[in-house]
Amino acid sequence: MTSAIPLEAVLVVAGALFCIGLFGALSRRNMVGILMGVELMLNAVNINLVAFWRYLEPRYISGQTFAIFIICVAAAEAAVGLAMVIAIYRNWLTVNADTVDSLKG
Amino acid sequence: MYDIIDAILNRTLGFGWPGWAISLLSHLAVATLLFLVAPFQMLFLTYYERRAIARMQDRIGPNRVGPEGLFQPVADGVKMFTKEDIVPAAADKWVHFIAPCVVVAPTMLMFAVLPWGPGMVPVDLNVGLLFFFAISSISAVGLMMAGWASNNKFALLGAMRAVAQMVSYEIPAVLSLLAIVMLTGTLSVVSLIEAQAGLFISQIDVPGIPDLGLGWFVFTPVGFLAFIVFFIAALAEGERTPFDIPEADSEIVAGYMTEYSGMKFGLFYLAQYVLNFLLCAIAAVIFFGGWQGPGVGWLYAQAISPANPEGNWIFNLLAGVLGVFYLLAKTYFFFFVMIWLRGAFPRLRVDQLMDFGWKFLIPLTLVNVLSAGIWVALTRWGPAEGIGFTANWAPILRWAVAFVVTLALNVGAYLFLARIFAASRAEQSRIDIDEYRDTLTATLR
Amino acid sequence: MPTVIQIIFGLIAALIVGAAVMVVMVRNVIHAALWLIACFFGVGALYLLLEAEFLAVVQVLVYVGAISILILFAIMLTRQVTGEGVRQLVGGWRLWLISAISLLLFAAVIVPTVATHPWTITAPPGPPGTPEPLAGVAELGRGFVYEFLLQFQVAGILLTVALIGAIVIAFEERARRRRVLTLAEEYELRKRLAQRPGSDTPAGEALPAPRAAPISEGESQR
Repeated sequence: MTSAIPLEAVLVVAGALFCIGLFGALSRRNMVGILMGVELMLNAVNINLVAFWRYLEPRYISGQTFAIFIICVAAAEAAVGLAMVIAIYRNWLTVNADTVDSLKG
Repeated sequence: MYDIIDAILNRTLGFGWPGWAISLLSHLAVATLLFLVAPFQMLFLTYYERRAIARMQDRIGPNRVGPEGLFQPVADGVKMFTKEDIVPAAADKWVHFIAPCVVVAPTMLMFAVLPWGPGMVPVDLNVGLLFFFAISSISAVGLMMAGWASNNKFALLGAMRAVAQMVSYEIPAVLSLLAIVMLTGTLSVVSLIEAQAGLFISQIDVPGIPDLGLGWFVFTPVGFLAFIVFFIAALAEGERTPFDIPEADSEIVAGYMTEYSGMKFGLFYLAQYVLNFLLCAIAAVIFFGGWQGPGVGWLYAQAISPANPEGNWIFNLLAGVLGVFYLLAKTYFFFFVMIWLRGAFPRLRVDQLMDFGWKFLIPLTLVNVLSAGIWVALTRWGPAEGIGFTANWAPILRWAVAFVVTLALNVGAYLFLARIFAASRAEQSRIDIDEYRDTLTATLR
Repeated sequence: MPTVIQIIFGLIAALIVGAAVMVVMVRNVIHAALWLIACFFGVGALYLLLEAEFLAVVQVLVYVGAISILILFAIMLTRQVTGEGVRQLVGGWRLWLISAISLLLFAAVIVPTVATHPWTITAPPGPPGTPEPLAGVAELGRGFVYEFLLQFQVAGILLTVALIGAIVIAFEERARRRRVLTLAEEYELRKRLAQRPGSDTPAGEALPAPRAAPISEGESQR
């Protein structure tokens, strides 16, 4: 299958996904929306890692292992992030990232 | 299937089709077959459940349509099809429409890795077991969509209960399977079944005794505890009583199905029964040897298989029929146990459900994983892995020692955890009573 | 056969990118989360196409089965403020700046780098047509307990810490929790209020207005 699809095609898809995720993470006002953007970016990175594993060194497991660690970190990040969203909602009654600025000097 | 179609089309009829066309045809044939099997299982299981529960409640059950009421599910199906399909005015139309499909599709996909008999598996995926559980977790998304799109508080409550329950009970289910995976060292469902050949004492060959196909994992202490936990978790995943909290009709109408009517409701119903069937079948496959049983191994040894291409096809047929019979007998027995539990137990509360899952089942399965490690170390490891003292023991002695040690560990863990759990429940109800008194006095003041 | 794979790849790529665009553009947050699930599926399918089947299954298990459920839960628990009417994107010059940054990153950095970098792709050994020796699940498992043992342990600790942290952050103290009275308790309350000395109002009116109980399962779980 490596002959059918060039590596560049997979990387461009991953790059597009990363940029869309970046746009989402920066432009959404809702905190859950920001988290969704971050998840998109992490997925893009994972696609990259798997593509590099498949095309560049298919006999070693480091690419897949790294992808699994990233999935692990993404799960932890989602759990803590959404717990924070709920805690903030409970205290401020908002999930808008701009209004929660009481740490501002 | 590939070989059969190849033989018919190319060798017998002489069409000379290319390999990919044969492959496509064979996959299509298997998929069609499975898509036909699922609704028929559902039709039969509804009838079976209604008759069995009726007998337990001293009634007769459906007995009017056809002989002994056998065509009752068909009549119900016709009724479902001809009913009006109502979409609530405030519903999210598209999500409301897609949700039943998202619930049904995964249950159909789960058939892909279920082996029916020797050499009869649609796809022998080498991560089959994981695939099964990954796919089953998708239907939680469908339930959430159904609950939210209905725009009804009962539907949303039911969906949230269903999803919380499914996510919580997936952990004990997967952990109990982890113990079995440790025993065999494979995630492929087919290899799991093949590891359960032989005698009651699993994975040890005694010379002179034929392969009875009884080396089921449930006969080891590790497998037995894993089976009990898995079955309880399967009850929760399949939303069976006593875990039918998501659709508790006396509390929240019908849960996430409240706003569905006609065939969309029928699809939810279908998904539920097919899921229950599959959970019973996978329990039979993993802990009770699936198609393994006396005779199947002997028949399959003389049939056409990769190991023995010179076999006779009649033995293929016989082994297949016997294997499917064993699998379905075990599956229907487990489904009967589910019905039995429904007839016997009241429904749990949400907090009891969560406490039981997180504070009792998960620690128990963790201990079981430890037991599985001890089992593997005692029966299979040698000086190379650092276990030197078992090197001179006979296999049967190693097996016996492992049996005793893991049995002691598992029973000890069960007694200890049950005690702690009971004490914590008692403490909880004491706090509840205190709180109730405080609420009363605060309101009266 | 290469054409078939290319068509499949094109469909998957279109699904991933299209669903991702919908995630950031759709007004309704729930719909965005559902598109996110579609995008995760597309990524899982891409893993399958890249012959990383274990990762594909893990992707479905973790992202579709767990993370998206978490996101849906969070949206539903905060749904009073995430409705359709609320403006979802930042406004004015900031939106333009962000779009420009994202587009420039894609068009001016990623695509030229990918196109010009000399990739050294390992050719499959042996005659064409033979299956390549790919690292499978068994190698992966072995890697986790030999080569990457430390990382594996650290990941385990991270998950434990995240689990505890999430509980601590989202925990609501018992005293602050509003409780729904059961029917029996309400009956008891009415009875006691009626028996109260000096109360001449009928039992039904003396009862304070039932406290609004938020519809969330978290409230009734103790």
